[in-house]
Amino acid sequence: MHLHAMAVRFMHVVEDVASADDLAAAMAAITAELGFQYFALTHHVDIVAASSSAIRLHNYPAQWADYYDGNALGVTDPVHRASHVTSMGFCWSRMPDMIPLTACDRKVLALGRDQGIGDGFTIPAHVPGEARGSCSFASEAGRPVPETILPVAQLAGNFAFEAARRLWSIRGHMPVVQQRPLTDRQRDCVLWVAHGKGDWEIAIILGISEETVARHIKDACERYGVSKRTLLVIRALFDGTLTFTDLVRH
Amino acid sequence: MLQVLQSTGSPASDAALRAMFAARKSVFVDLLKWDVPVLDDAYEVDQFDNIHATYLVLTEADGTHLGSARLLPTCRPHILDSLYAELCEAVPPKGPGIFEITRFCLDRRLNAAQRRIVRDTLVTGLVEHALATGITTYTALAEIGWFQQILAFGWRCMPLGLPRIVDGTMLAALRIDITPETPELLAAAGIAARPMPSAGRRVAA
Repeated sequence: MHLHAMAVRFMHVVEDVASADDLAAAMAAITAELGFQYFALTHHVDIVAASSSAIRLHNYPAQWADYYDGNALGVTDPVHRASHVTSMGFCWSRMPDMIPLTACDRKVLALGRDQGIGDGFTIPAHVPGEARGSCSFASEAGRPVPETILPVAQLAGNFAFEAARRLWSIRGHMPVVQQRPLTDRQRDCVLWVAHGKGDWEIAIILGISEETVARHIKDACERYGVSKRTLLVIRALFDGTLTFTDLVRH
Repeated sequence: MLQVLQSTGSPASDAALRAMFAARKSVFVDLLKWDVPVLDDAYEVDQFDNIHATYLVLTEADGTHLGSARLLPTCRPHILDSLYAELCEAVPPKGPGIFEITRFCLDRRLNAAQRRIVRDTLVTGLVEHALATGITTYTALAEIGWFQQILAFGWRCMPLGLPRIVDGTMLAALRIDITPETPELLAAAGIAARPMPSAGRRVAA
């Protein structure tokens, strides 16, 4: 079997799809050819809350999908969280080395196994300015992940996610982030909030009055439609107004 | 302002190139921890920064570096064929119309929104440069997260081999075909040259 030729063929297949249904069918075929049983192509958002704006295609058993949506697992899913700490594909069995797993995470993974979903391989997909996403391939519980095929699965995941992005953007449905960006001064203030500084400290650091700092932060909260400073920092990190590097290097 | 520059062989002779080598040191050595040579503790310059290299450098009006990329002719030794040939399934593509994009560099002083503007302007500039000078194909080596972004630019990409983990980083080699339709593909993906907001590059603290 010529693995590179297989990857190129998958690329052409997903490039040619014209609808989400076509992509789902193509992905089901690719999944089987790779030696997996399930795939999931998704943005990491609460799918029910985000409705049709977010990418989401999969062939998981309906019962599992309903449970997953019913509990809004799209945001807390340990697989999704693990895919935020790496850019390369990883086997789910490696997750305990990647992120701290809570009791609830272990329960979710165990529930998935009960529904017949075993180990899997997830390809992270992050396009700056958009919600993070991923493409996962999974095996039925009890069947091993086909190791030698993983580099092909990696490329298939990268191209499939891009094909989905293209389809969703044609539909005008890509999740849009912050329309009205923060001013530089608001951003400065949010950065120091993220460092745990209070208004008085930020005023000293930036050489402006405490009242001005409070107003910048209040205005920044309004732009994001949030009322808490913690949420403000989270939103600024989410849309790239702040990066984790900003928080580490100061 | 986008400038297309050739090295004179003496990197210190040109202000725009000097600023670019300094920005490259800041990004590739200080931030990404690449193991590449550094000159005078300030400039990242390697064996491919010679008279055969072409640079696309995006600067502010006062010459401040915003972003840059290096193009290497594939008829001469370049990164894919010299250092990472194992990432290509076949022989790395080679020819007078094929150039390798290397050292795609976005200045570290930019914030996230500015980085996207500079990135999009530079990508658009690469395509315009190719169409203006008869380049039909770019090749490149990309860390896999960056690979996903390169696909999202909308142009036609092809993997040259399977990705591999090299020193803990997953790398993939790719080919980008440039045709008269490429500018439309970029535009359809929302990639276009855009001016920097005049407030410029101010960065907190």
